[in-house]
Amino acid sequence: MKRIASFFILVLILSLSLASEATAQVQTRIRIIQASNVGSNIDPSLRDVHGQLGSLFNFTSYRLLKDETLSLSPNRPAEISAHKDISLEITLVGQRKDMAELRVMIKRERTDILNTQVRLSPGRTVLIGGPKHGEGVAILALSARF
Amino acid sequence: MKDSCSSASKLLEKYFDQEVTNEERSLVEAHLLDCPACQDELKLMEGLRDMIRTPVEEAVQKEDFPWVWQKIERGIQLEKRPNWWKSLRSWLDITPLHKRRVWIPAIAAIAILILIVTPLLFKKTSSYPGPFVVEYVESQTNNVMVYESEKSKVTVIWLFEGPEMESPAS
Repeated sequence: MKRIASFFILVLILSLSLASEATAQVQTRIRIIQASNVGSNIDPSLRDVHGQLGSLFNFTSYRLLKDETLSLSPNRPAEISAHKDISLEITLVGQRKDMAELRVMIKRERTDILNTQVRLSPGRTVLIGGPKHGEGVAILALSARF
Repeated sequence: MKDSCSSASKLLEKYFDQEVTNEERSLVEAHLLDCPACQDELKLMEGLRDMIRTPVEEAVQKEDFPWVWQKIERGIQLEKRPNWWKSLRSWLDITPLHKRRVWIPAIAAIAILILIVTPLLFKKTSSYPGPFVVEYVESQTNNVMVYESEKSKVTVIWLFEGPEMESPAS
């Protein structure tokens, strides 16, 4: 009887683990940065990406506007207000063991200005920049945790 | 003497087979000392025994008993080997699995497992795995540029929203 009980417990654990795999969420970090040439202020919280930003862009000032970590579920869009009239909609459309596929839509006043689909893997950062923001531009830094 | 001989000769066969009591043995042995007829009869019995025993022992020595045993064993196995259905039935009979109350949760668990596993096995991936990070990018209003750096593991998607705006350095 003990053997049967062990078998059922094993099946249950396996089922639960597969179920958790099927409904796993992806932790996605979204940072909204304002980049401009007004002043030369570098936000201390952007130290980890400052090197990347400096090597890629010609801006002198970087300011962190928002830092959010979202638990994305498959095909459930999450919306973030970047600033004033800019908003961001992120949807997890695909998922593998170490890769998440995200669809990102940037809207200005409810009009799509950018629509893209990217693959995020461990350690990979996707920067989406360009939308006007005050005296500079907005840069969205996306990364995922698995 | 004649009476003594007839009573002793009755015991002679038992004496030869060593089935007599001590008293009977003493009686027979005392009689044999004085009776040549009974002595001859005893010698005849011993001769007959030797005649039978010798060929039997020789035949036993010549016989290959391991081979005979193998033949017997094979015969037993052939007779006793059940078919797969009987084996399954006997296995079910000796295990408590034949009880319905055990089978119901077992079947339920297997069904749940199949329901969970099947979609995962046949799950369609949205695209093939490749080295590209950006699968697609579009903008109906502005120009877009994509820059990927494998070295620094950074991908840049840049939207040129206005002619007066800054563009990436590289």
